Amino acid sequence: MRRRGLVLLLAAVLVLFSGCGYANVQSLKEYAPDDAHRLVVYTSHKQEVWWPIIKEFEERTGIWVDVKTGGTNELLEQIEKEQDAPQADVMFGGGVESLCSYADCFTPYASVEANQILPRFRDEKNRWTPFSSLPVVLVYNTKLVSPEMVTGWQDLLNPAFCGKIAFADPAVSGSSFTGLVTLGTALNTPFDKVICDFCKNLGGIQMESSGAVLDAVCGGSAWVGVTLEETAQKRIAAGENLAMVYPVEGTSCVPDGSALVKGAPHEQNAKLFLDFTVSEDVQRILAQQFCRRSVRREIPLAKDLTPLEEIPLVEYDINNTSKNREPILMSWAFYLDWEENE
Amino acid sequence: MKKLRSRSFRKRLFMAFLLVSLVPMLLCTLLLVQIVRMRVEQSAQQEAEHSLANVVDSMDTVTASFIQAANTLQKDPVIIKALDDHDFNIEVYDKLFSASEELRTYARFDLYDMQGKRLYSTKKQSAAGASDVNWGILHSVNENAGKFTFVANGYSSIADKPLLQGAATIQKGEKPVGYLVISIDKSGFQRLFENEYGTQNELLVLNKYWRPVYCSQSVMAGNLAVELRQKVLEGAVFDKKDDFFYRVAFQKSTGLYFVLQQPRVFSQSTLRLIYTASFAIALVCVAISVFVSFKLSKQMFRPIQELQSAIHEVEQNNLDVQVCNIEKDELGRLAQQFNEMVIALKYNQRQLVENQTALNEAQIRMLQAQLNPHFLCNTLDTMKWISKINRVPQVALMATNLADILRFCISPEQFVTLDKELDLLQRYIEIQQIRLSNKLEIKLDIPAELYQCVVPKMMLQPIVENAILHGLEGTENGCICVKAERQDENLLRITVADNGKGLPQEMLGKYASEKCRQQQTHRHLGLYNVDTILQKHYGAQFGLYLSNAAQGQGAVITAILPIHRKGTEQC
Repeated sequence: MRRRGLVLLLAAVLVLFSGCGYANVQSLKEYAPDDAHRLVVYTSHKQEVWWPIIKEFEERTGIWVDVKTGGTNELLEQIEKEQDAPQADVMFGGGVESLCSYADCFTPYASVEANQILPRFRDEKNRWTPFSSLPVVLVYNTKLVSPEMVTGWQDLLNPAFCGKIAFADPAVSGSSFTGLVTLGTALNTPFDKVICDFCKNLGGIQMESSGAVLDAVCGGSAWVGVTLEETAQKRIAAGENLAMVYPVEGTSCVPDGSALVKGAPHEQNAKLFLDFTVSEDVQRILAQQFCRRSVRREIPLAKDLTPLEEIPLVEYDINNTSKNREPILMSWAFYLDWEENE
Repeated sequence: MKKLRSRSFRKRLFMAFLLVSLVPMLLCTLLLVQIVRMRVEQSAQQEAEHSLANVVDSMDTVTASFIQAANTLQKDPVIIKALDDHDFNIEVYDKLFSASEELRTYARFDLYDMQGKRLYSTKKQSAAGASDVNWGILHSVNENAGKFTFVANGYSSIADKPLLQGAATIQKGEKPVGYLVISIDKSGFQRLFENEYGTQNELLVLNKYWRPVYCSQSVMAGNLAVELRQKVLEGAVFDKKDDFFYRVAFQKSTGLYFVLQQPRVFSQSTLRLIYTASFAIALVCVAISVFVSFKLSKQMFRPIQELQSAIHEVEQNNLDVQVCNIEKDELGRLAQQFNEMVIALKYNQRQLVENQTALNEAQIRMLQAQLNPHFLCNTLDTMKWISKINRVPQVALMATNLADILRFCISPEQFVTLDKELDLLQRYIEIQQIRLSNKLEIKLDIPAELYQCVVPKMMLQPIVENAILHGLEGTENGCICVKAERQDENLLRITVADNGKGLPQEMLGKYASEKCRQQQTHRHLGLYNVDTILQKHYGAQFGLYLSNAAQGQGAVITAILPIHRKGTEQC
């Protein structure tokens, strides 16, 4: 009798408490797409680049894209970490030599649009799909530097610019790394000597990120800087005191690209997305709105850009560079540190 | 439970007080909170649903008007011609403005040619501009075979950026000649949903992929929309602990989701406050009930405690204890009874002590009584030795015999063997012979087998004394014959016969009739005692029989008793 009373009391209390949660639970599951309509994209592009493309892709295919943003190396390390149970389907963005360094994490895929892509931007092993070509350029502040002072890589070794050069940490910024290798290749001096001299001229200062380079040059704290054509173009278009120079000794034109993650959970959708990034519509938008050079043959160049044929180019071995990434970064760190200690 | 039960009654009562005061209060508080919460949330939900329905309704109305306007404009020959000819025609604006009369508050109407060049616009500034026909809204229209199509753009904080666009191709026969695009920007949405979704609520408009299109608070596009989309992708549920309540509605024609964010009436902090207050009240209740139950139980248990301590005192043998402060209730009566009981107990104990004292005194007296005969015996022994020294043999013999008789008398046993009894009798006779100058003769006729029979001590001596004192009075050469024999196997028959004057007639027969006793007691005390001893020991059927000898001379006194041998003695 006593026990029954206790049970009744407990039941009453339970009913009271369960009242707290009445009808409040609203599942969002009913709005969720099924697995066939999902795609997970890791991107190192800025939002202004990935957002229109992803949005258009969603509208056209009905696939829900889950975007995770971050730095190129950060995301590649993440993909490598997730190798056993991949979360990402596509790595979208990042220089192709960076993608090459993590080739183990990717499945080769030949885009259906491959034939329309300029051969120089195609990987013979299809490890990556190019997105846009990004020549490395020199920029200078037009109020501080006269045009004849900055013509090529050699000028970066000019003691007049000592401590006035904006250069991002190549370990962090992919474009900066490409710039460093291009500098080392363009001059007829041994690679290490060039790096050593350049470090000396930097005065031990390197920028946190590639974005900081433009800020420093525009703001006047640095006179010259090394960056990508696209970034420079945007700042010039925005009306900054900035000018852009293709180095006379030649520059590199390494594309950025995308790659299909090995073991991707939504591989079919990932392939659709890779095709879409090199589709005519996207490449046209890219040329018209993002100040980038398309990798497709037929897309016309934005009107104020110099055609690639007219730009002096150096031999840039993507495979070799990506293989030697570690030693190059090591010697960079060594010389920079050495300079600092001196 | 067991532990609870084993506690003192007072503690249990105390617990009961506590529970009774606390549980109903807590339950009531909870119940009230829940009921109020349920009611309020229900009405809030209804309100939210109502608001959301309003929003969706206005969207429905607007999109229907868009489609209607588009239909009108699509068929308009002036527009078709102007687009087809690439001629600027002011009449086109007339048509455009009249068709978009009501709708221009929210939306702007643009006309594009097939290359995506904007030719006409109801927008305030210049009409010039372009749109990529292979991208965004125009691409969708092309894909959709020129039918009116809605495309939601991503949220932008830029004021005049179109957030939702609807478009259709304008065709001359089968040939498309241009596009009509209707765009709603941020301010358009603001006006459209003004006062529709409740002042406290916030509205989120999301596209089919749950990307933000319009948010009533700009900051939401960056965080809440992203969070909601993540939740949808994870298939999660809205957080119960969230301070907001969300309702989702789908608008079919545009494919937009409308999410209404409603602040919970009972947010977590409010609930926490209510529960904290309830808890505080509960604490106060606990304190009060502790105090009251302590007081009450103390008051109630004071008599019981007093009684209990009094009983404890009694256990400790203190019988002077009495329960005071007796009230006129059940416990009072109990205490009263206890008091009486203690008094009775005390009286009994005193009585017992008195009895014991009396008994002890008797024992002491008895010991003292035993002391005197010993002294007499010793004196007699001394007399014996003195008379032997002084050569008075009769005195010596008498002293010896008297000492033996005395010793025999004060010995503790009540039964002796027949031969011992006869030995004593012998000594008594010796004394009597000296007294009567040997005019007395005694004959013993006892079979040896009966020597070991057990008889009451001092049984024969009184009978013989009686015979000497009464039967042989005045008789010369008196002779007493003591005879023992077995009768009927298990009875012993002892006869004492004398040759005296015999018994008077009225005394004959069984001794100890009341008459005999009354008359004879003072003369025959010995017989009376023996008869009484025999009857008390063996039963009323045994005793003495008095008769006169058959030859007419002398009395015969017969004693009959059961045979007991030594070792099997006692009846």
